[in-house]
Amino acid sequence: MEQWLNQVFITQEVYVALAVLFFTSVLFLLFRLFRRTKSNTIVLAGLSGSGKTVLFYQDGSSHQGTVTSMDPNEGSFVLHSETSKKGKIKPVHVVDVPGHSRLRPKLDEFLSQAAGLVFVVDALDFLPNCRAAAEYLYDILTKASVVNKRIPVLILCNKTDKVTAHSKDFIRKQLEKEIDKLRTSRNAVSEADISNEFTLGVSGQSFMFSHCVNKVTVGESSGMTGEISQVEQFIREHVKS
Amino acid sequence: MLEQLLIFTRGGLILWTCKELGNALKGSPIDALIRSCLLEERSGDSAFNYDAAGASYTLKWTFHNELGLIFVAIYQRILHLLYVDDLLSMVKREFSELYHPKRTYYEDFDDIFRQLQKEAEARAEEMKKSKPQAKPVESLTKKEGQIANKKKGVLLAGKEKVSSKDDASEGNHTNGHKLENGNSNGRELGTKTTHADVKKSVPESGAFDVSKLRKLRSKASKKMDTFSKAPKVEQNKKTTKKNRVWDDSPSESKLDFTDPMAEKGTEAVVVVDQGESMMDREEIVSSDSEIDEDEEESGKPDNKKRGWFSSMFQSIAGKTVLEKSDLEPALKALKDRLMTKNVAEEIAEKLCESVAASLEGKKLGSFTRISSTVQAAMEEALLRILTPKRSVDILREVHAAKEQGKPYVVVFVGVNGVGKSTNLAKVAYWLLQHNISVMMAACDTFRSGAVEQLRTHACRLQIPIFEKGYEKDPAVVAKEAIQEASRNHSDVVLVDTAGRMQDNEPLMRALSKLINLNGPDLVLFVGEALVGNDAVDQLSKFNQKLADLSTSSSPMLIDGILLTKFDTIDDKVGAALSMVYISGAPVMFVGCGQSYTDLKKLNVKSIVKTLLK
Repeated sequence: MEQWLNQVFITQEVYVALAVLFFTSVLFLLFRLFRRTKSNTIVLAGLSGSGKTVLFYQDGSSHQGTVTSMDPNEGSFVLHSETSKKGKIKPVHVVDVPGHSRLRPKLDEFLSQAAGLVFVVDALDFLPNCRAAAEYLYDILTKASVVNKRIPVLILCNKTDKVTAHSKDFIRKQLEKEIDKLRTSRNAVSEADISNEFTLGVSGQSFMFSHCVNKVTVGESSGMTGEISQVEQFIREHVKS
Repeated sequence: MLEQLLIFTRGGLILWTCKELGNALKGSPIDALIRSCLLEERSGDSAFNYDAAGASYTLKWTFHNELGLIFVAIYQRILHLLYVDDLLSMVKREFSELYHPKRTYYEDFDDIFRQLQKEAEARAEEMKKSKPQAKPVESLTKKEGQIANKKKGVLLAGKEKVSSKDDASEGNHTNGHKLENGNSNGRELGTKTTHADVKKSVPESGAFDVSKLRKLRSKASKKMDTFSKAPKVEQNKKTTKKNRVWDDSPSESKLDFTDPMAEKGTEAVVVVDQGESMMDREEIVSSDSEIDEDEEESGKPDNKKRGWFSSMFQSIAGKTVLEKSDLEPALKALKDRLMTKNVAEEIAEKLCESVAASLEGKKLGSFTRISSTVQAAMEEALLRILTPKRSVDILREVHAAKEQGKPYVVVFVGVNGVGKSTNLAKVAYWLLQHNISVMMAACDTFRSGAVEQLRTHACRLQIPIFEKGYEKDPAVVAKEAIQEASRNHSDVVLVDTAGRMQDNEPLMRALSKLINLNGPDLVLFVGEALVGNDAVDQLSKFNQKLADLSTSSSPMLIDGILLTKFDTIDDKVGAALSMVYISGAPVMFVGCGQSYTDLKKLNVKSIVKTLLK
């Protein structure tokens, strides 16, 4: 009888130990999850030649120019306007993904940990590249990772320091029109479209960015002169420090 | 003299340019280099030529794979500088010591570079002085007699030009030496020199390229061939037409036996709907397990035992720097594997060189074998090549053309018997399923039954067809077809052409005329998946002829590839890779059967997986 009682005791202790282990592991996982949702990665994407690498190297040091990127650039920066803030400042992890069409698959690797996406558009040379830019943007907005996690997108019109650059409203309207057309041609294909996992917008109405599930805003910037306040604002909004 | 020397990172930031050679470069050669050479996996090439308005440059490069740096030297093409490779490797060595990831300014490198440049130039001068005797002798022994004469001619001309630059005594000495040999050939030499002089821009550095001579020889032989081929072809055409007598009955003068009345009553069933075209069906890709790699390893334990053990040891330690000799066996194995999958030999070679160039000097991570690193690099390279450079969304382009009010013109070209007419019908079926009005144009006016074949398809699909019978000029037929299409508001015009061999000069000229006259929106090259090494030849010659014989400054080249007979190859899918690599055009459609629904899109990931299995 006593032996049996001892055995029961032992099993109970083991039970308690196991329960403790279980709880700590659950707590640990929860912490990991929370941290992941509050990731601080911003992804810079856009067509080749739109000025992403120049924007990336805006941390103050001047450089001698850029060429077409072959690999993504990753780095952690402290935002300019926040260097004067007192207290603990969390650096922002920025990734510049190459825009060349052959390197598009690299974007998917970084989207899973993105807190926000900046889609850079060349405001100077916009009209010849309008269709390609709209297609890329459409592909991004219909990816499962973007829609499920509601990643906010900032459409950044770059190179606005030049006189002949288009205004951001014009660019926004043009993009909306192009994406509308893409919607009809892509939706005409039957349900099993390999490339696009979701459809955009409300059927029957012409497409507007406000129809998107995730938040899409438009901003202006100039990589060469360092005028990137709207980018910083976007980053500050979406990356919790 | 160098035009410019640049150092930049793989991420695109320029770290250093030489300030002394401050000449502004015309055009954007570096971007062109990256886009058309390095990203196209041609980094194993020795040099890249770039032509812009007013200048033609040659670019040479080298990588530092560990630090992710690229060193590029640009110089004018007419100067054949010998010291560039040397200079690049010296610059690489010196700069890697200075390099720090966070630094973007490298002012102090200017002095070092000046020294290195002087050293390299001095060394090149020395080499030039010690080598002029050796080179011509060895190249003479390689070729036959006639070519030797031509070469001597070029050499003489070269020497004459060089003598103005070299020291007087040295130049005259070599000139005198050459003249002794040359005199024996007498008059022949004189004519050959002028001929060669007029033809080529002679290199000023005294050394001449063996490759140029090979080109000279092949050009001469080609000229003779085309002259003899052209009359032969016309003769062939005429003789076959006359002598087509199958039994002892008298030959018929006309060959078009179709009876227009019988057309209506044929058994051709109108194809309303044969189901969904496979283009629109989702392709389920099964996930692969990593077991196959280990199976391969266990397959060859004997001869690799010692090598395997030491490489395992090294992989665990993980600090070795990859050398070319280490990569050699793994690359050779990969190349053989690719070739068993029907990739053209030349392409497999170039790919392996490119992967080697990108891996040399890299440090092995811990717990990775060399073979797995090479495999991963090759997989990435293949994925990069097969990913289309331009949009393959034909529907979007058709809609864009519709808005502008013009029909979208597609021309199908290819060699004989690859399946152009069959696949044209499949594409028409697919377009019809998306509510686009299609019209066919029968520009194959040579092959008997070609027009009837298209007529049958048009009947079954209920679409209009524009035909003018046989023996008409295809270019004019196409032009009229497009006018007809814009009149009856068809969205797409599919133009069928006759099959032709890539070496056949007059036929290629006719094709080029068709394309130039009509300016199609899409030139689709139809190639069969069964083709082996010939794919390289076909595509490069087609592209070359289209570029050479075009009258406009921006010639229309092949925009896309249609791969046919894909169902006949099981896993020997290498033809897709060869074709995409050599032309740079994406595969837009894949024909995988003989009925209307057998048309699908290329699934890049599954192809890469099959190639490396």
